[in-house]
Amino acid sequence: MLGKLALAGIKHRRRDYLVLLVGLTMSAAIFYMFANLATNRAFIKANAVVSQASLIFGFGAALLILITVVYIMYANSFLLSMRQHDYGLFMMLGATRKRVGELVFLETLILGTLATAVGIVIGLLMSQFLVGFLLDMLGLHLAHLSAFYLPAIIATAVLYVGLFILASLFNLIRLTRTTVLKLLHTDEQANQPKNHPFRQAVSAILGIVLLAIGYWALAAIKALQVAAIPIALVTITIGTYLLFRATILVIIQGLRRTKWARKHLNGFLLGQLNFRVYNYTRMLTIVSLLFAMALGAITVGSGYHRQLPMMANSLGTYTIAVHDKTAQEQKLIDQLNVKHQATYTQKRHGKVVYYNAAELKQQPFELNKGTTEAKYQTHPKYYNESLKKFKQSGSQSLDFLSLAIRGEQGFFAPKIVSAQQFAKQPGKTVTVTTVRVKDMDQDKQVLKQLNKLELKRFAQPAEMTVGNYQSYELMSGFFGGLEFMGYFLGIAFLAMLASCLMFKILSGAPGDQRRYRMLYKVGVRHSLMRHGIAKEIGILFLIPGIMGVIDVLFGLQMFKPLMQSPMSPYLGIGSIFAIFIGLYAIYYVITLTLYWRIVLPKAPTD
Amino acid sequence: MATNTVVDVHNLEKTYGKANERQYKALKGLNFTVEAGEFVGIMGASGSGKTTLLNMLSTLDVPTKGDVVVNGHDVTKMRGNQLADFRAQEVGFIFQDFNLLESLTAEENIGLPLALKGTASRVMDQAIHEVAETLSIADLLSKYPSELSGGQKQRVAAARAIVHHPAILMGDEPTGALDSTSARELLDLMTTINEKQHMSVLLVTHDPFSASFCQRILFIKDGQIGSEIKRGDQDRSAFYQQILNELGTFNE
Repeated sequence: MLGKLALAGIKHRRRDYLVLLVGLTMSAAIFYMFANLATNRAFIKANAVVSQASLIFGFGAALLILITVVYIMYANSFLLSMRQHDYGLFMMLGATRKRVGELVFLETLILGTLATAVGIVIGLLMSQFLVGFLLDMLGLHLAHLSAFYLPAIIATAVLYVGLFILASLFNLIRLTRTTVLKLLHTDEQANQPKNHPFRQAVSAILGIVLLAIGYWALAAIKALQVAAIPIALVTITIGTYLLFRATILVIIQGLRRTKWARKHLNGFLLGQLNFRVYNYTRMLTIVSLLFAMALGAITVGSGYHRQLPMMANSLGTYTIAVHDKTAQEQKLIDQLNVKHQATYTQKRHGKVVYYNAAELKQQPFELNKGTTEAKYQTHPKYYNESLKKFKQSGSQSLDFLSLAIRGEQGFFAPKIVSAQQFAKQPGKTVTVTTVRVKDMDQDKQVLKQLNKLELKRFAQPAEMTVGNYQSYELMSGFFGGLEFMGYFLGIAFLAMLASCLMFKILSGAPGDQRRYRMLYKVGVRHSLMRHGIAKEIGILFLIPGIMGVIDVLFGLQMFKPLMQSPMSPYLGIGSIFAIFIGLYAIYYVITLTLYWRIVLPKAPTD
Repeated sequence: MATNTVVDVHNLEKTYGKANERQYKALKGLNFTVEAGEFVGIMGASGSGKTTLLNMLSTLDVPTKGDVVVNGHDVTKMRGNQLADFRAQEVGFIFQDFNLLESLTAEENIGLPLALKGTASRVMDQAIHEVAETLSIADLLSKYPSELSGGQKQRVAAARAIVHHPAILMGDEPTGALDSTSARELLDLMTTINEKQHMSVLLVTHDPFSASFCQRILFIKDGQIGSEIKRGDQDRSAFYQQILNELGTFNE
């Protein structure tokens, strides 16, 4: 009978349960996807060329577990907040604590197991499609990546079901320890935090000092090595918490004394925030950190994505060099957005390659200052040398040498001779066309085909690159894993942090229902209530957002050693921030809509 | 519409349930008026339709048929924001369960109706302190509802109900959750407000003691007005006896 009643209670709020279930499912799916990457040794070995990459994978996994724990905690409290009134009622009607306890335990566990099972299946599908899509979009190739990986499935299932068992036990203890009356009236309590000026001042200063230490640790990652990350994590977490606790309350209470607070629902808004922010301090701290990590990860990922071509461009002068171009290759070249193009005739004889001086005079070989001078690394400067000077210096540049590769032995030695001499010179005639495109990213697909055709006809040693495109491909192999991790972790963190915030806020909704009902009776317009809620939730989203952005701005220092000049973790972060904040805003809108639906009183109808 | 009539209820009907379902008629054609400055009580047993009536008067519910005119506004014709504004400006409420916002101080709770109107801060301060003096809660203004006793809470609620000088003060069992001393204090205060500020008061109750503070009492039974008694010149305790007698015969 009680089981039936409980089921009826769930049916009654099925939309709220759906939100909870979807959130948990997504969390499990994301975790599976990550576990699939992080535990797949073959995949890591094949892709983690950079030594830090495996460290980052491990770090990411630890973080994700931490976030999952917090996430489930909040999801669970949302569940409990929805149910405790019902449970109180059952107990009041005479159900034994034991029976209700069983119900709570089972309900949490069933919900959790269901979410985990569905989550793993969705995670499998997402690994198949989304990861493929992401890699495709980024133009990366990661070896040994398969959707199905048993150890990852086991890890996900064990972690989630384990956490849900813990959550069930927690609910059980909490429900059986609270009195029936409290269960029935939990929504009606609002604790008013007290002010302790001295204590708050101390904690504010301590908070700032800790934050400063944390930011410094990130910047000094070269000196501190691996220790920088745990140091920063601990100091920034505690620092943010102390700072929030000390300042937010003071600001709100200061605002309450202003005239602004006495207009419309502003006073109510501040009153709500006053007791809410205090309860939310811990969660806001975690969310702000998650926000920073998500944003940081995406920024780093996109930094690699955008800056690899730039880095590649600083290495040489031409994008690609095609020898003895075929009609097919010519067709592909015609599709490129060519900035500079030149064709030279070579005569290869013995260990020497001969060039025609007249040809070089007519179309000089372009040189790039970016390869030699640091200040031109980010903005390559192309120039020509006089033929005389070129014979001495420019002709010995790696780019020019690379136009004639002698297999494993290195290069043919270039020799520039007059037109008459060149005509008489015996040897194998080869033409080479160098092409520099405007934007390597834009022409990536064509360049890829062109390079494939070229390599098929003219084999070259594996480690050797000719032209910036080949350097780019090589670097993509090195940094691709990091780039992918950045995007993936960023999206995963964002999804989880926003869900955490959403559940925490939504778990306060049943209590607010009563308050808005009161306001409605007193004659507050619907639109005013809607705006009030939008502001309140907006502020709760905004606080960790701002703190997170600050964390990221400092935290990116950590990636300086990994993104050596001309790359920089700070380059072009504006657009990434904008996209990220856009995604965050979507979560805000979802939360707001749900909140409106839960708390706004319905107008009477006949 | 005569300006000295504050509430005019005409042929009011309320039916619950949809047309094709089992229907329940809570109000069956009610007619009565409240004059300006009157202190009117509405009595009846549980389920007689008292609360339904109050919900119609306060626009929290919509009548099936009939008109309700409050201070010249036909509330049955209003929609959306008009209804909210009407509640905010024309009516003051005191509820049995106080309905104070626990996240706000007493002062902020009292100031809410004025804040909604966008009253200037100085005017608001003055109005709040005036009403706080009247209800002797000036020393409670900075406290939160959780720090107040039931009687104090209800006085704060009363202050919120009258701070914006509504046309009518409506009480829905305002003494229901109070001990007898607090209940008496509150009723005395309501009488004072009624007399000093000439504010009309409509008190819904099933408690004869509370009702004895009224000038006129309407008895509702099964959705209709069963009888009506007036206090006239008799003192409160004599009126109390009359109410008890009336209830005795009324419930037969």
